[in-house]
Amino acid sequence: MEVIENILNGFAVALSLKNMLFVFIGVLSGTVIGMLPGLGPISAIAIMIPLSYGMEPASALILMAGVYYGAIFGGSTSSILLNAPGVSGTVATSFDGYPLAKQGKAGKALAIAAISSFGGGTISVFALMLVAPMMASFATQFGPTEYFALMFLGLSAISSLSEGSTIKALISAVIGLMIATVGRDLLTGTARFTFGSVNLLDGIDFLVIALGLFALAEVTNLVLTRNKENNSGSEVGSLRVTKQEAKEISGPIARHSVLGFIIGVLPGAGATIASFLSYITEKRISKNPETFGKGNIKGLAAPEASNNAATSGAFVPLLTLGIPGSGTTAVLLGALLVAGVTPGPLLMQDEPNVFWGVIASMYFGNIFLLILNLPLIPLIAKILYIPKRLLISLVIVFCLIGVYGISFNTFDLYLLLGFGVLGYVMRLLSFPAAPLILAFILGGMMETSFRQALIISKGDYLTFVQSPISAILIGVSILSLVLPMIRKRLSKNKQEV
Amino acid sequence: MLNSMNRKVSIVIFLFSMFYLLFSYQIEPSPFAKIDADIMPKGLGYLLLVLSVLLFIENKEETEQEKAKRNISKKEISLLLLIVLFVLLYILLLEAIGFIIVTILFLTATSRLLGYTNWIRMLIVFVTFTLVIYFSFNELLGLSLPSGILPF
Repeated sequence: MEVIENILNGFAVALSLKNMLFVFIGVLSGTVIGMLPGLGPISAIAIMIPLSYGMEPASALILMAGVYYGAIFGGSTSSILLNAPGVSGTVATSFDGYPLAKQGKAGKALAIAAISSFGGGTISVFALMLVAPMMASFATQFGPTEYFALMFLGLSAISSLSEGSTIKALISAVIGLMIATVGRDLLTGTARFTFGSVNLLDGIDFLVIALGLFALAEVTNLVLTRNKENNSGSEVGSLRVTKQEAKEISGPIARHSVLGFIIGVLPGAGATIASFLSYITEKRISKNPETFGKGNIKGLAAPEASNNAATSGAFVPLLTLGIPGSGTTAVLLGALLVAGVTPGPLLMQDEPNVFWGVIASMYFGNIFLLILNLPLIPLIAKILYIPKRLLISLVIVFCLIGVYGISFNTFDLYLLLGFGVLGYVMRLLSFPAAPLILAFILGGMMETSFRQALIISKGDYLTFVQSPISAILIGVSILSLVLPMIRKRLSKNKQEV
Repeated sequence: MLNSMNRKVSIVIFLFSMFYLLFSYQIEPSPFAKIDADIMPKGLGYLLLVLSVLLFIENKEETEQEKAKRNISKKEISLLLLIVLFVLLYILLLEAIGFIIVTILFLTATSRLLGYTNWIRMLIVFVTFTLVIYFSFNELLGLSLPSGILPF
């Protein structure tokens, strides 16, 4: 069996001393950055990318993946201790986690969160191993038409699912696509929107946008809340979880690992939606829903298992199709491209070491996270109390050096600052930034496959609805945009009646 | 007519899409390509135009929560602008004076501006941070950051 051999090889790759070290560095820094309220997983990954310069592809991927799920893991700590979620995927964690901490059971809550995250992470990596090969073999029949439709679906899904106005989210996405058109055209070599500047000929580097729109813009959160140091930290207390409690949370962990994984695979959704959905579901099927929000351990276990499972799920489209479904995985894709890995249906065949190596590394990453988050949690939680006034300037320098390290050109630094300002203004005006970064990353690929599809069809636009797969994908995309609007109309009419 | 924030924003986006379209019509045609480099930009330009009009028509009242995001005092805004200015100076001086000096100055100035007062701790953290970054970039990653006026 070739697959089993490759999986074993993947474990061998992950188990090498060097890669174990990278898993550890990845999950540790992910946990730490994820814990800080204000800096989300996108910033965490973007800030860590410079560290992966010049690394072997497998190691780089292992490191960055570790940062990603580490950030989701770490976000729960600040949700529980401070009621200030470090990442949006752990907002639902605070619903029951913070009440538990207020009752003096912070240690128990952290332990349950860690165990549930570990359960969700591990079960979903197993699912990833099963689903990814199937998806990859299915995707080999995709041509440019189908790829275009798939990316179209990704963008419309993230826009319709993002918080607030769908029109604003779509505007963000279109602007992201527009930024991607800057530079030399990939197919003809024509310069576009360069305004005669040599610096723009190669287009704008994704790291400039990721660090600007997210890390720099999020630093302003830290600036504005700098006087509110996190000193209120309650005692962590005992980490003990009784047998009875362990039994109680095993059901939710199993259920929501599966649910979270499935949601993670879907485009546009992700850890945030998965955790909310799991929380609501768990509350609905519970015999005593009134205890939710008051420190119910099931209400804590469900979103924690779910958000971690969703992060593994998000690797399915990323690794097998080469198409990220969310802002976070879009930045992850950018990181992979920097490392010289092009994910897609052929990755599993061509570079089984990279493919299975990263998946295998996730098992160990989850074990590390469990160790970091259980016995060491009182120690790690101290990071929450680092003075923000010190941290802010360090994060800014990290962003600047990260960008300077790829181009050695100060022009990119000015651009970075510009995108930082844009990111901040977008937050002020409630334009979501995730669709922009996803659209920017997809932009080049989308345009290429769009034009290739038209070249094959000799300019016939109907090609996008003649291929059955593409027709279904485009149909679903349009429904995802139109249905919520219709539903809103209907509910409005009902209210008026 | 321009009473709401969303409408004002929609006008800005409308103008931006006109500007973008203007430049997409100036993209030089390639003699060989059947599906040329201007097709996507033009499509996107019109799409954004339509979306900005939709945003104008929708004219959704902002929620209190959305409005509250902009509730920032003048003092804080000038603080943010000062930080932006510091970053600009940093970029401007980075290659001329060198990474180590400019970084330590920037870190110290920004933290002071934000009101951090423990000089000793600040200097220990910043000097260590800067040196660690500088030497790990140069030695481990093989990327040399500008040394500027310092000899190493």
